Amino acid sequence: MSQDEDILAVAREGFLDEARDMLRQFEQALLTMEQDPSDAEAVNSAFRAAHTVKGTAGLFGFDAVVRFTHEVESLLESMRSGELALSDEAMALLLQGRDQMERLLAEIGLDAQDPDVAQTSLTLGEALRALRERGAPALGQGLASAALSGGADPSRLVAESVPAAGGVWHISLRMGIDALRNGLDPLSFIRYLSTLGEVRGIHTVTDAIPDLAALDPESCFLGFEIRLATEADRATIEGVFEFMLDDCSLTVLAPDAASADYERLLDARAPDTQPEAREHLLAAWQSLAGPGAAPFIERREDVPERRANEPERRSGAKERRGGDETRFIRVRADKLDHLIDLIGELVIASSGAQMVARTEQSPTFGEAAQRISDLVQEARDGALGLRMMPIGETFSRFQRVVRDVSKQLEKDVELAISGGDTEMDKQMVETIADPLMHLVRNSLDHGLEGPAERLAAGKPAQGRICLNAYHESGSVVLEVSDDGRGLNRDRILAKAMERGLIEPDADLDDEQVYQLIFMPGFSTAEQVTNLSGRGVGMDVVKRNVEGLRGQIRVSSRPGQGATIQIRLPLTLAIIDGFLTSVGGVSYVLPLELVAECLEVPAECQSQPDRVAGHFDLRGEVLPYLDIGRFYRHSGTPAARRSLVLVRDGSTRVGLIVDRLHGEHQTVIKPLGQVFQDIKGLAGSTILGSGEVALILDVPALLDLATTRLSSAAGSRGQAARTVAGVHSEPR
Amino acid sequence: MQTPNAPIAARGVPQGEDIASAGDIVQFLRLSLGSEKYAVQINAVREILQMVPTTPLPLMPPFVRGVMNLRGAVVPVVDLGARLDLPATDVGRRTCVVIVDVPGIDERRPQTLGLLVDAVYEVFDAPVADQEAVPRLGTRIDPGFIRSMVRIRGESTAELNLSAILDQQLLARLIACHATDPLSEALTALA
Repeated sequence: MSQDEDILAVAREGFLDEARDMLRQFEQALLTMEQDPSDAEAVNSAFRAAHTVKGTAGLFGFDAVVRFTHEVESLLESMRSGELALSDEAMALLLQGRDQMERLLAEIGLDAQDPDVAQTSLTLGEALRALRERGAPALGQGLASAALSGGADPSRLVAESVPAAGGVWHISLRMGIDALRNGLDPLSFIRYLSTLGEVRGIHTVTDAIPDLAALDPESCFLGFEIRLATEADRATIEGVFEFMLDDCSLTVLAPDAASADYERLLDARAPDTQPEAREHLLAAWQSLAGPGAAPFIERREDVPERRANEPERRSGAKERRGGDETRFIRVRADKLDHLIDLIGELVIASSGAQMVARTEQSPTFGEAAQRISDLVQEARDGALGLRMMPIGETFSRFQRVVRDVSKQLEKDVELAISGGDTEMDKQMVETIADPLMHLVRNSLDHGLEGPAERLAAGKPAQGRICLNAYHESGSVVLEVSDDGRGLNRDRILAKAMERGLIEPDADLDDEQVYQLIFMPGFSTAEQVTNLSGRGVGMDVVKRNVEGLRGQIRVSSRPGQGATIQIRLPLTLAIIDGFLTSVGGVSYVLPLELVAECLEVPAECQSQPDRVAGHFDLRGEVLPYLDIGRFYRHSGTPAARRSLVLVRDGSTRVGLIVDRLHGEHQTVIKPLGQVFQDIKGLAGSTILGSGEVALILDVPALLDLATTRLSSAAGSRGQAARTVAGVHSEPR
Repeated sequence: MQTPNAPIAARGVPQGEDIASAGDIVQFLRLSLGSEKYAVQINAVREILQMVPTTPLPLMPPFVRGVMNLRGAVVPVVDLGARLDLPATDVGRRTCVVIVDVPGIDERRPQTLGLLVDAVYEVFDAPVADQEAVPRLGTRIDPGFIRSMVRIRGESTAELNLSAILDQQLLARLIACHATDPLSEALTALA
């Protein structure tokens, strides 16, 4: 039994996953519809999403979901067919509907259903239905209760009122005796039928069931007479029973079937030789034509195995999904991590092999080791790529937030997204989503002005928030920018002094002032809104970013807007490195940051005590940092040292090291908790020789250098400023 | 974590994690730092290695020797003598690295550290009843770093309180402050 439960649990997970995707698609389509009501494809997309959720939920018997989603789907259907135009009321109801669907899905698998949720289903369902009925001509409710006399006239059945569109089909089904043995459960097929429309009535024909003594429970003796109100065509209806055709007898009568057709059916099912069966059948048809509501198929606690098999068959049978060509496989995250760890160790081992090949000076071994190294590199890139996902999905989640919050704040805001296909490590995407959300909310709340204020300032009434993502020299850059008020430097400075965060006479440049907003407890919001302003947000954002070994920078133009830029490493696990050594210690630089290697220029050699300064490179003045001196490596430096030119954002900085050792793949190993707060080291790695090398975090190292050197004696401040930014130097 | 200034009277016979009854035997590792002998409870010790090459980290306080490669894992190495404000360890023939596990910050995974010591001697048993209180005066190292006094071969040996000495949060803070403050480094250089 537990194996069945496992199968069912896995299938349910798959369903919930797909349902969540569908909900996202649904919301996306709704928001598109709101922007452009004439976009027919958006309506279709929303309809398909709702339809898929309803259908698959129906397979699993999640009745609450099916019932409610049906209302949503029906409303969309009437929009699709042009009966109902999109209005604010409809949009609001649909969005609420989406939220309700999410709530219902969350309840699946729980023991107790929240009565509030059930109540919302009822009221919201009512509202949706009411809106639809107001828009569409009233469907003929209440079929004429055809009082059939003894010699019933089948033609009377044809006269029942039909829905405004489509019609009421009659389906007559007789199961083959081996149907159950062949794994066909008639109930599932009929339940599926209900996704095509509304089952007005079902009559189960039990005439063929023998008495208990003769009954073989594995044989099927059942028949069904079904009345289905649907707009689907015959092919679609018959398609539902496609897999059953060998094991049943199926007759489908169209809404416009003549009474002769019914006579034929009657003869086929209950020939004149069986007057009793004929009576029963006619009575059944009579009751079906009556005004009763369609009986909902009760979910029985029956054999889970069969139901678990069905989802696969069903998705083969009906191609409901709109052309999603890419195939996906679900993989457990920990298996992936394990694989990446193994490949990491493989990288190190392959380095070791190459070292042995060098020392042994064996060319054949060297070739083999090189081949292994190349393959390991490919495998590594492939494995890391598995963890990458485009950030666009995360970005598009913000559309809804921006829409809701801007309405709440009575501001008109447009969210522009670019670079959505920029890929990032999955774990990083998940970690950065909340900080990004906070930044967006901050812009909405404090950055952007209300329409009146914007117009007074000569700006368009609609504010704009831009989310952007791109790759730059081995990092992923995320930007949140708005065209609002920008940051108020004086107010930030005043607030920081008021809270004792800085000395009153501190001399800070713009960038440093803006960085103050990330200090804990800082907030210049006049009022604390329930969105932001409690001062707990920005410092958490910065901490999250730095936890991912990233940096966060702020730039702002008063009155014109602000941009917050987050820079993150591409991956946390493995990097391509450039190996150097300083004072006998091996240091690894991220290879993407290395621009050039040169001999140490003369002006750096001239003053033996300088830790940092600047030098001339082909006419450009760039800063440099002497790592050996900065890190106070003891001993005399090597005679011929080298300068490695590295990229730092959009500028370049020279790092003086003793020796260069070339490219080296590295697996990043954490340094240990006691070192978690030091700046400048991103981790460590083990070289092929077994020696531990340190990985430099170049941006953090340069920040550290700036801080240390500028807080040293005042006269050394000059050195710090050259390291901090060459753009302030005259060329 | 015992604070160095906790009143001695409150300490008395140590209880700590292992609430052993008076008749129980506890095992200790005896080691030397400089000319002094000290003891450490064996339950924290994972293994003992001969001196291994360590990679020094830049801008560290003197008690951080660096990091080492322990079968593929990168493990910090602490100069135990320096940490206890004794003269720094000179690497000699008998210098060893004692690998210990200590609780991590915020009860996260336990952290592995290597302790650089001048020599290790033996593992000895001592009944809990034989452990005595820490004297207020006369100890070579800060009494806050001592958990109890253990009698071995007639000699009273200080049992080191590893969880105080190697408190991860405290070490992390000491290390971080040292790296960013050039003044502390200058002072260290002068000391």
